[in-house]
Order: sequence, then structure tokens, then C-alpha cells
Amino acid sequence: MTSLQEAFTKARIQWDKLQDSKVPIFFVGAATCGRAAGASEMLERLRGYIKAKSVDALVIEVGCLGLCYLEPLVIVHKPGAPRVCYGNVGPDEIIAILENHVLGNDPCAQWALGKVTAGELEGIGDFNEHPMLRRQVRRILRNCGLIDPENSYHYLARDGYRGFLKALEIGPGKTLEEVKASGLRGRGGAGFPTWRKWQFCRNAPGETKYLICNADEGDPGAFMNRSLIEGDPHAVLEGVLIAGFTLGASQGYIYCRAEYPLAIHRLELAIGQMRELGLLGENIQASGFSFDLTIKKGAGAFVCGEETALIASIEGGRGMPRPRPPFPAESGLWGKPTVIQNVESLGNLPLILNNGAKWYAQYGSESSKGTKTFALAGKVERTGLVEVPLGITLKDVIYDIGGGIPSDKVLKAVQTGGPSGGCIPAEKMDLTVDYESLTEAGSIMGSGGMIVLDEDNCMVDIAKYFLSFTQEESCGKCPPCRVGTRAMLSILERISAGEGEMADLDKLETIAQTVKDGSLCGLGQTAPNPVLTTLRYFRKEYEDHIEKCRCPAFVCSQMISYHIDRDRCTGCGACARICPVKAISGEAKKPHVIDQHVCIHCGACLSTCPDVYAAVYRRSGELTRYEARREKRDKTN
Amino acid sequence: MKLTIDRKAVTAKKDETVLQCALRHDISIPHLCTHSHLSPFGACRLCVVEIEDMPGYPTSCTTPAAEAMVVRTDTAALQNLRRNILALMMLEHPSACLICGRRDLCEEYRPVAEKAGRTTGCHTCNNKNVCEVRTLAEELGFCDLPIPPSYHHRPVDRSNPFIDRDLNLCILCGRCVRICKHQHGTATIDFVDRSSKTHISQAFDRSLLDAGCRFCGSCVDVCPTGTLADRYAKWYPKPDTITKSTCIFCEQACALKLEANKGELVTARAVNEDIPICVLGRFAIPEFLNSTDRLRMPYVRVGKVLRETQWKEALKTTAAKLKEFIGDGFMLVCDTTSTLEDRFVFKKFTRKVMKSKNYIEIEPNYRGISLSSLPKGTKAVLLTGKFVPSSQLNGLELLIVQDCFGTNVSQRADVVLPAAIFAEVNGTILDGSGQKRPLHKACDPPGQAKAEWWIISKLAQAMGAKGFAYRSAGAISKELGISKAKLWVKRDQAPEAAQDLERRRTFFRGHRICEKVFALRELPIRDSSVPSRAVSKRTDGFQILEKYEIAPNVHEIVIQAPNVAKKAQPGQFVIVMVDEKSERVPFTLCDWDAEKGTITLIVLEVGQSSRKLVLLEAGDRIDHMVGPLGIPLEIKQYGTVVLTGGCYGIGAILRIAAALREAGNHVIVIVEGRSHYKHYYKEKLETVCDELIQTTIDGSLGIRGHAVDVVGQKLKDGEKIDCVVAVGCLFMMMLTTRETKPYGVKTLVALNPIMLDGTGMCGACRVTVDKEMKFACVDGPFFDAHLVDWDELRDRRVAYSAEEIHLVGRTESVAPYPGHGDNCRCLR
Ligand SMILES: Cc1cc2nc3c(=O)[nH]c(=O)nc-3n(C[C@H](O)[C@H](O)[C@H](O)COP(=O)(O)O)c2cc1C
Ligand code: SF4
Ligand code: SF4
Ligand code: SF4
Ligand code: SF4
Ligand code: FES
Repeated sequence: MTSLQEAFTKARIQWDKLQDSKVPIFFVGAATCGRAAGASEMLERLRGYIKAKSVDALVIEVGCLGLCYLEPLVIVHKPGAPRVCYGNVGPDEIIAILENHVLGNDPCAQWALGKVTAGELEGIGDFNEHPMLRRQVRRILRNCGLIDPENSYHYLARDGYRGFLKALEIGPGKTLEEVKASGLRGRGGAGFPTWRKWQFCRNAPGETKYLICNADEGDPGAFMNRSLIEGDPHAVLEGVLIAGFTLGASQGYIYCRAEYPLAIHRLELAIGQMRELGLLGENIQASGFSFDLTIKKGAGAFVCGEETALIASIEGGRGMPRPRPPFPAESGLWGKPTVIQNVESLGNLPLILNNGAKWYAQYGSESSKGTKTFALAGKVERTGLVEVPLGITLKDVIYDIGGGIPSDKVLKAVQTGGPSGGCIPAEKMDLTVDYESLTEAGSIMGSGGMIVLDEDNCMVDIAKYFLSFTQEESCGKCPPCRVGTRAMLSILERISAGEGEMADLDKLETIAQTVKDGSLCGLGQTAPNPVLTTLRYFRKEYEDHIEKCRCPAFVCSQMISYHIDRDRCTGCGACARICPVKAISGEAKKPHVIDQHVCIHCGACLSTCPDVYAAVYRRSGELTRYEARREKRDKTN
Repeated sequence: MKLTIDRKAVTAKKDETVLQCALRHDISIPHLCTHSHLSPFGACRLCVVEIEDMPGYPTSCTTPAAEAMVVRTDTAALQNLRRNILALMMLEHPSACLICGRRDLCEEYRPVAEKAGRTTGCHTCNNKNVCEVRTLAEELGFCDLPIPPSYHHRPVDRSNPFIDRDLNLCILCGRCVRICKHQHGTATIDFVDRSSKTHISQAFDRSLLDAGCRFCGSCVDVCPTGTLADRYAKWYPKPDTITKSTCIFCEQACALKLEANKGELVTARAVNEDIPICVLGRFAIPEFLNSTDRLRMPYVRVGKVLRETQWKEALKTTAAKLKEFIGDGFMLVCDTTSTLEDRFVFKKFTRKVMKSKNYIEIEPNYRGISLSSLPKGTKAVLLTGKFVPSSQLNGLELLIVQDCFGTNVSQRADVVLPAAIFAEVNGTILDGSGQKRPLHKACDPPGQAKAEWWIISKLAQAMGAKGFAYRSAGAISKELGISKAKLWVKRDQAPEAAQDLERRRTFFRGHRICEKVFALRELPIRDSSVPSRAVSKRTDGFQILEKYEIAPNVHEIVIQAPNVAKKAQPGQFVIVMVDEKSERVPFTLCDWDAEKGTITLIVLEVGQSSRKLVLLEAGDRIDHMVGPLGIPLEIKQYGTVVLTGGCYGIGAILRIAAALREAGNHVIVIVEGRSHYKHYYKEKLETVCDELIQTTIDGSLGIRGHAVDVVGQKLKDGEKIDCVVAVGCLFMMMLTTRETKPYGVKTLVALNPIMLDGTGMCGACRVTVDKEMKFACVDGPFFDAHLVDWDELRDRRVAYSAEEIHLVGRTESVAPYPGHGDNCRCLR
């Protein structure tokens, strides 16, 4: 075993050497997101080339830089030149960069996103000035994409484990004080002050205490925790150590979904390295503090992210929540006081300890301190993983960082908090991103999902999407959630099929309120949020669906009718050939017509009609088949 | 701890929850999933309250009472929330009966639940009399569903011994799961799957037996709905007496709570609900005691035959015979399942009256087997069970058997005396540790069976002996000096057999218990084989070509019957015998195809015979059928005819409507169902009428209400109706009659009384119409509704319900019929 001090020294040397490397280095973003974008093929080509041509160059796989829309990303170190980050690097581009920039004199400015280190390079600006990065404050993600996550020395060289050592030095009481002063609140969703949970647990009677790191990340589309673990596993583990030490826990668990194999692999590696470094086990760094860590794989049920269900799952039972009190901090895993903390909450701890609470709290709003990562997705130019100071406005995130809405479309709403959150309308873009104002607006901060919606998104459809998720993920224990989500979903389905009634809106609201007030756990209590917020801000759209059979965004297929403009149709017959139900007829070279009673609203004709003719158009809200059907229904009743 | 609940200052005990504290102070808070023997679960959410300084609506069952807490249990917001939660719960539970406008009348007209297969409402639910959900719904004023309810279409599970499971009723309160865990440490049953698919099952959907169930019945006992049911007791009316007594199947002497209805034992449960009892104690006792094999009368041998007789004569004859064997040539054999009082009398009788030293008392072995051999020189024997192999009895001069069941031994006896046993008698027994335990009479013995001490005392008296004038078992205890015995309620451990099914007893006084309690044959036993049932498939009779459950509990059965199909006319019926021992039951001919030679019946599962029929599958054959029977409906030009149909009547009016329409009538069909999923045949009916109206009790489809409501409205609106024909259950037809009477509209009903031969010979189907006696089979089935004596009809229909309940109460499992599978027609 190497002593930690020794390791620090070695790490420093290794890191410095890396910075001034005499051999070229390719830092390839190869986290799960990078791989999905094609990093694997690119890596294969790169390695193959280097081997075949015996090029003296290093390839290091790093985590995610967050500019997902530009992936695969590569940072290239060329001795004597500033490091450059390139985007959209496919197998061909990487060879071109290798040949032209590394081995030649052309820095390939056309693919460059910016210089990562100081120095001059023709036509390439600073990476930090990249529009997506300029307004970000990357603290939690400070190492992601820059270090080798599988090499503990990289982390050590970047102030790694100094926060933990500090905690050991000042003792658990002062550590708690520090965390309290920082104002850190849980990043898993509810935003409960971290120190308070710790204090409950510390005050709870009993010797044995547990710490659980919640890496279940079940929100559809969320990947903040995965990226952090894949890009910088030690940052999370250092946080685990700090928390475990403060609580006096001797055993910690990391509950990670089995769908994250790379994250689990990196955690396992890192835990092994911690043992090597004497950061796990008996009497860590001669402090008297003993601590061990186990990874538990979850089967991927959303509800298992809920604290009590997670505990039940670790205990080997069915992941089903139980009512609180008793709170886990009093009686949790195996009946012992237990603190459960989200990955990102833990990732903040090294920073707070190492830099002090004051430094940490310099960003943020009155009640929400620090920075927060978000998975920015949907209808924005620049999607990806971003880290912003709390208190920033939604507008800044969407326009400054995200680059606004593509294709000159109009912003409609922003959905935060995933299936537990809600939709905030475009008028409210001045809202600051903090726990209170998001809750005020009917949504929640959540774990960091942020989906931008534009005019092409139907709000009924959005509510339906999130609700069908929670409906399926309900554990089934309590009727408000189990039945209520299904009842709301069936009403929404009715509405989007053009069979809704105005009374349905009141029913929706009543059920939503019942589910919110009556459900046992957070899943059920928050499940109605997508419905409630869309009803609150987009009631008109619901009414359009019901009264006019009109889906303004042209999403609800049953409300769209397709027509052929007689004047534009040349009778080429392309649409008639593609129509799966043979609803289109017409003689060759004569205008065709669509039989509305046969049409199934698939839209194939619209996309098939050659652009030069553009004869097919769609309508919503005029007498469609569904209105006709409804009229008939009304008559029979 | 002092706290305030609804402005009332109360004191909470340590570790008490808000709910417990409130209930103790007579403050009621609705609750369902909570159970006094289980730790709180917080699933049903009905016990929500408001607590100052606590956000939202915490559940009182899970919130510990705390000092200075201020609790409100009855605000308008809470009532509203609870009602809304219940409404959601009821979306997955058959709830139409709870919101039915005619509920009071229905309850009055048919107070006992119908013995349906699957339940789609309280009126056909075995839980009706004791239902917590129903009570709660009433208390909360539950009245409306936000959207149409859904029915899970899960097949009713009868594939396990003793326990029926209709998961369509389950509200997922988790009581069963928790009690199983509580009783046995591990749970045999658990929640399976997620979201609305969540249900109670065994891991990997194994059978209960394979999953390790011990059939302690605890889950059945705690289930607040009709989901889990004791198959034997299921359809008995609410018990009228509850008696505590002791189980004598084994030396564990578990304390039992025995429930009886009109003197007939219905269920046995543990007194101590915290400790399970074994399968015998929980499930076997009623079926054992109510077995048709019980000896009911004394018998005396006259020549070669045993002749039934009365006690007086039996005692006289026996006394006379016994007098010849006074001395050691007489022997009395009993075992320790007879009470101490009985045995005291036996011994006294043997020693004092018979002057014999041969009083033998056997201790049954671990299987319950009591065996004895006869010493040389024995000439006369009195046996109180089958204790001696019949081969040993050859040389005997006198054999008296006093027993509860007839056997091959009693067949050879000179006198057979019927004994009352177990829950039928008072007395005292000893448990395995030598403690005295009491027996209290909980039900009546069958026929003229008598307590054993009574029989022997009377015998002694008949022989002229003194000192046997006992008037009760208590008098004997006094003479014996037995102080009051106490039930073994507070025990630390469950009896072995309750933990391990295979360790149960299999014999009682030489009788194999499983020969009386059929389902026991399905349970494994460690060291003995049990007789199995032989099943034979028949190859003659009428073949079933197709069978579908087209709505819950409604089966459409297509049968090959060319001769019936050739002659059938609208309104006629057939009488069916499923097998050679079945009842004969009439079914309306719903449809037929003379060319193909097939007929279609709509069968509602409501009792033993319809159950037999619906448990058959396509390809199987039914034994016997006669038909077409009855006078067809007169098809002529009436004008406007309204046909109303409910349950099987929806199908039964199909051909009637077609024929009437063909004859030029304007035909309006009005069909009713409790909820949307009870409707079927919509497309078929649409083709045979001018107007089709569907109604549901809960308003989930068509018009809310009964068919008769629509008829009434039409009449009120002055619509011209020339004739109304109603086909359905008695209640529905009676209602229709009431409604049309004031308007004087001609109303015909298809009466469905019990029938036997169907040809006017037996008179079982007698009905009174216009004060005249008619036979529904030959004079009907259609009668002028306004002239029918409805009360008589109802009374005659339920004449055999007690016998029927007894028959339905077979405990053995039946293979599940395939319910709504993926390709079931009715789901399309
Ligand atoms: C249905 C449900 C799912 C949840 N899923 C997650 C999850 O996937 N990851 C997570 O960190 N927290 C999740 N949470 C929140 C956790 O229960 C808990 O609040 C969090 O782990 C506490 O950590 P923090 O204080 O660090 O935020 C979920 C909560 C609910 C109600
Ligand atoms: S709210 Fe939903 S997920 Fe939570 S316990 Fe109830 S049913 Fe389960
Ligand atoms: S369990 Fe049975 S009696 Fe109770 S409400 Fe349900 S259907 Fe009615
Ligand atoms: S009968 Fe007893 S052992 Fe079997 S499932 Fe029910 S509670 Fe469990
Ligand atoms: S079967 Fe009965 S006890 Fe079990 S969960 Fe369902 S309703 Fe509750
Ligand atoms: S009784 Fe409290 S939640 Fe069911």
C-alpha cells in the first residue's frame, strides 16, 4: 500500500508530466453518451491508425464534457501547442486531425471548439468562451472530461481527497457546521437541507449508522449522476467518505441501477483504488474512523429511488415505500439510522470542505446555494449537461447557454423535474432557478432534468407522456397513485383522442389533487404535477382539444385531418402508393382525394408528396372524423 | 402523553399511533389496511388526518401519537379526500351495488348473496354480510365514480385446496401478505408486479401448496373483502352463534372459535389470532362434522340387516343383549378423544355394570391412529370408534359400535349407536401436557346422535344400574372433581402441524379424515399415501363445441344438439343434466342453428349445477338434455314491444326480438348490467331491434339505472308501448311488473322456478298465476306478469338453498377455467 502522501506526490509528478507531455495525447470523451454518439468507432479507428503507423501518441478515455450535441468530443494535446477541443469528431475527422494538426501544421479550425489551455492558435478561440460554457460555473463537473476517471492519480493531482483530510482534521462536529454554513440542499429532488438530515441521524440513538449514496437516477432522460460517476467517480466517493465520517457510519452503500454498467465498473475500480490508498477499511489514515463501501445494483424501478423503497430493496425486499415517520435518519436500513444522499449532493462535499463554506455559498440565491447540474434537452440548439449557479434565470439557461430554440420556432414551456415536475410557460422565463421559485410555479427542481418545449409540442401529450411513465412505475401500494394515475391517464387519452368533455377538466383536477394529497410516497405525491401545471398554464390548449377537436401543435394524430390541394396536386400518385390503408384515390395526372372515413391520420402522404408540389396539407380543429363520430355519439345518447 | 383529537383532550399510551389512540377514545377514523394484529402499513390512505405543524395529510395509522399534538379527524377537506380516495379504490373493485339506487329494495328482496363464480357486486359477494369496504362506503357517503371502473378480468382461482381467490375484488390492502409473514416468519404470498397489474400471488405464480402454504387460513380471516374465501364456509349466511371450544384432532388442543348458523357448524378459527392453527383446525372441522357419512340414527341388527330404530328401542335391545355378557368377557374400547366425562362413564359402566376389568383407553399415535387388539376370551365388545381391524372380530358374540361415522366395522355390528362428538358436545379433555381443556357445544349433532356419556349412562340405566342419572356433562365433571378448565389461548408457539403441513394428524378414531374432508387429499403427508380421485371423461352425451366467458360470470356455451336445434322456437328452454348425479336445470335457448345442429346457452354461474356446467370446456360432454320445452312466445303483431333483459336475459331475448321484429313489431330492446363490463351481445342485439338502449347501475355505459327505469320514463313520457317482455332474474322481472302495472301495459315475464322433469309431472315448477296453479314448464315460461304471485315464487326458488350451500361447500380444488385470455372474444 502506498501512503497517501506518497501518492499525492507521485500524482503531482504524473499530472505535471501529462500537462507538458512530449507525446501527443488524445483525450476522447468516451462516457456512455459519447459512446452512443460514435466515440467507440472513432476510438477504434484512432487506435488502429496509431498502431499501424506506429505513431507515438497516447489515447486517454475521459468522461463527458457536457456538450452532448457536439459529441463525440476530443481534446488534442500537441506538444508545444495549446490543447484544442474538437466537436463532432467521427472516425474520418479524427484521422484528419491526427494527420493535419498533430503530425502537420493545420489545426483543423473547422472542427475546433476552442483552446483548452493558454496559447495562440490561428482561428481558434478559447474553449471557455464557447457560448455553451461561458455562463456555466463548472465546479461539480470540474474534472469531467479532463481527467482519466480510471486513474486515481489524476483525481489526487486535482486536489483529490483534500476535503476528506480536512474533515478528518476538523472532526465531525465542525464538518457538520461547515456543511450547514454552505447551505447545501439535497440534489436528489426534494432539496432537504443536508446538514439537518445529518443532524437527525447523528442524534439518533445507536452505534450503527449507515450512509447510502442514491445513484438510482430513474427519471427518464436524466443522466447527470451517470455522467458524474463516469467522469469523476472519486469525487462522489470522497463525498461518501466525508458524509460517512460526519455521521459516524461504518458502512456505506451505493445503490446504482444495473443499467449503468460503465458507472458501476468505474465505481468498482475506484473503490479498489481507495483501498490501495488506505481510504477505506479499518482506521482510515490513522484517524480511528473505519468505513467500508458496497455497491448494490438496482433493477431500475423508478420507485426504488424513493428512500424507503430503496432501503427495502437493499434489504432484499420488494421496492415498496413505507410511510414516514419513522424517517430513515431515525430508523432506516435494517432499522438503523440511515442517511440517503444523492450522487450530486455528495459530489459537492469535497468542494465545500476543501474551499470552505463561504467560497461555496458565493453562488446561489438566498435559500439555494451553490451550483446545480442540468440535463438540457428538447427544443434547444445546444443540448447537453450543464452546470449553472442556482439563482440563474431560466431565460439565461435556455438562450445564453442553450442557444435558444432551433428553426425559428417559438418557445412554449420548460419542463423541469421530470415526471415529478411540471411545465413552466414561456411567459415565466424570468423565473430564477432555485428550489422555492420552481415549487412556487408548480414544478420542482428535481434531480436536474430540463426539457425545452416549443410550439410543436402538445401540452396534453406532454402530460400524457410523463403520466404514463409514473403510472407504469407506481409500486401499486396505495390507491391514489395506483389507480389515480391510471384514471388521469385515461382521461388524457380520451381528450387527445377527441372524445373529451369539458367536465373532464374538473375531474382531472380533482383526481390530481387527491393523488397529490393522498399518496404515500413522493412518486405519487408529485405524479400529478405535469397535469396540474399544464392545466394551470395551458388550459386553453386543453379546451381546444375538447371543444374544437383541435390540437394546435399537430401532435394528437386523431385530431389531424389530411387534405390534398386540388390546385397543387399533379396526380403523381406518390401519396396513394404510400398510404397504408388506401384512403387516397384519383386518376393519374388528375388531382387526388383523401377519403376521410378511411384515413388513419398517419401523415405518410404529407411527408411523401414531393416538395415541389407540396399539395398535401393538414388541418386540426375542423370537422374531422372524430368530431363526426362524436356528433353521432351525442345523438345516440 | 396528552394530546388533542378533535378538540377533545386525550391521553395516549406509549407506542400508540394516533389511530389507536383515537379509536380507544371512541373517535372513529375510517381505516382499511390497518389490522389490530399487524404493524401499520399505510396503504389504503383512508385514515388520513390533519395534524398541526405537519404538512399534508398524514395517515393516522402510521403516525405515532406525540405530546401536545393537535389532531383533526373530521374536517370537510378530510372527508372529501377520503371519499375521493375511496372512489379511486372503487375503480378497481366491483362497486355498482354500492351506488345502486334500488339498493334497499334489493337487500330486502334478496338478503343473502347469490353464489356467483366471480363477483361483480355485493349482491353476489360472499363477503356481503361482514364487508368492511361496504360499511366504509356507507359511512363516507361514497356515491360517484370519476371515470368508468375497470374490471381486471382475472379468472377466479379455485386451484388450491380450501381457499378461493377472486383477485378482481382485491384492494391490495396487504393484510394477507402481512399476516402470513406475521404467522410464519416468511410470507407465502406477496405483492407481484407493479402499477395496476399489482396483485397478490406466490413467487413465480406457483400454487399455494408449492409455495409452502400451511393452510392456516389467517389470510382468509383478515381479508376485508371477498377476495380470499374459505371455500366451504363461503356461502353460508352470517353465523348466528359463536362459541369457544377446543380442538380434539390432536393433543395440541388449540383453542377454537366456532361459528354456527342455525345449529350447523360453518367455520372454525383460532381464538388467538396471533398464532396460527393447523389446516385441520382451521378448515377441516365443519366439513368433517357436517359430512353426509355421519351416523344419524341408532341401528339394531334384525337377522341379516341393520335396521334403523329409535333410541328407546335401541337402548332396550342393547341392554338385554349386554346382560348376557356381564363379566370379563366384555370389553369396552375407547380412545382419548372422548372427553374425560365420557371416559369416566365408560369406565364406571365397564367396572360397575359389566363387572369387567377390560376397559381399554387408547392414546392415539402421532398420526391419530388408535389401534387395539382383543384379548383371548373376549365375547362382547363395545367400540367407540374403528379401533379394531375387522378381521379380529370374527369370533365375537356381541359387537356394539358407538361411533360418529359408519364403517365396515359398524356394518358387522349388532347394534350401532350414533355419537355426537367434538364441537357437538360439552366436556373436558387433556392436552399433551396434561392440562385440562374445555369443550363447549357449538353446534347440533346430526340426526339423533347423542353425547357419548349420555348413551352409556342411558344404557346403564336401561340395565337397571344406579348412579348413572346424569343430566349433563357438567354433573359428571362435578362427580369427577374437575375444576373449570381453561382454553389454551396464550401459547408461545404454534403447533407443529401449523408450521409443517405434513405433520398433521390423518385419523380420528380410526376414520381417515380426508375421506370426509376432500381437499385434504390434495395435501402431502409424510409417510402415508392417500387415495386419489379417479376422473373419467365421458364419450357419450352432448358435446360442447365452444365455450367463452363473455362477461364476468356469464358463459356462452354452444352445444351440439341437432334435434333440439331443429325444433327450437323463441322463448323455449332446455333442461340439462351435466352428469348422472346432477340436478336438472333449465336454461333458455338463446340461439340455435338448425343447419349446424347447434344450440347456444347463456349460463350464469350461480350455484352448484351452473358451476359444474361452466367448469366444462369445449370438447367436454354433458350427460343429458331434454328440449325444446315450454310454450314459445306468441309471435304476432303487437305494435311497439319493449324487451328488457338482464344478466342471462340479455342473451335470452335475442331470438325473441328477432322474431317479433320480423312479425312487423317496432322492437325496443333495453338491457341492463351493473357496469359496462357486464354488457355483452351489443352488436348482435343491434341487428334484431329498432332501438337498443343499454343501462348500467353505475352509469359507466349508456343510461344510469335499471332497464325498468327507462321503461318507466317512456311510460311517463306517454310513449306508446303495447307490450313489455322481461327476461332476467326474479328481482328484475318483479321490478318491471311493478312499474308497468299502473299503466296497464301488457307485460310478459319468463319465469324461472326450480324445475325437475320439465314435462308437467313433478310439480316442482308450480307457480300461482291469477290465483290458479300453473306449471311453468308446460304452461309457461311466459305468463302475464301482473297476475303472478311473486312472493310465492321467490319463496319456492330458495326452498333448497340450505342444501345447495352445503353442496357448493366442497373444499377440494378445481382446475381453473381459462378466464379472459389474450384471445378471448369478449375482450375484442
Ligand atoms: C419516486 C422517487 C424516485 C426517486 N428517484 C431518485 C433517484 O433516482 N435518484 C435520486 O438521487 N433521488 C431520487 N429520489 C429522491 C430520493 O428519495 C431522496 O430524496 C434523495 O436520494 C435524497 O438525497 P439528497 O438529499 O441528496 O437529494 C426519488 C424520490 C422519489 C419519490
Ligand atoms: S405513491 Fe405510488 S409509488 Fe408511492 S407507495 Fe403509493 S403506489 Fe407506491
Ligand atoms: S368485497 Fe364484496 S361485499 Fe364488499 S364491497 Fe366488494 S363486492 Fe361488496
Ligand atoms: S393460509 Fe396461512 S400460510 Fe397459507 S398463505 Fe394464508 S396466511 Fe400464509
Ligand atoms: S387479498 Fe384481501 S387481504 Fe389480501 S391484499 Fe387483497 S383485499 Fe387485502
Ligand atoms: S388504515 Fe392507515 S393507510 Fe390504511
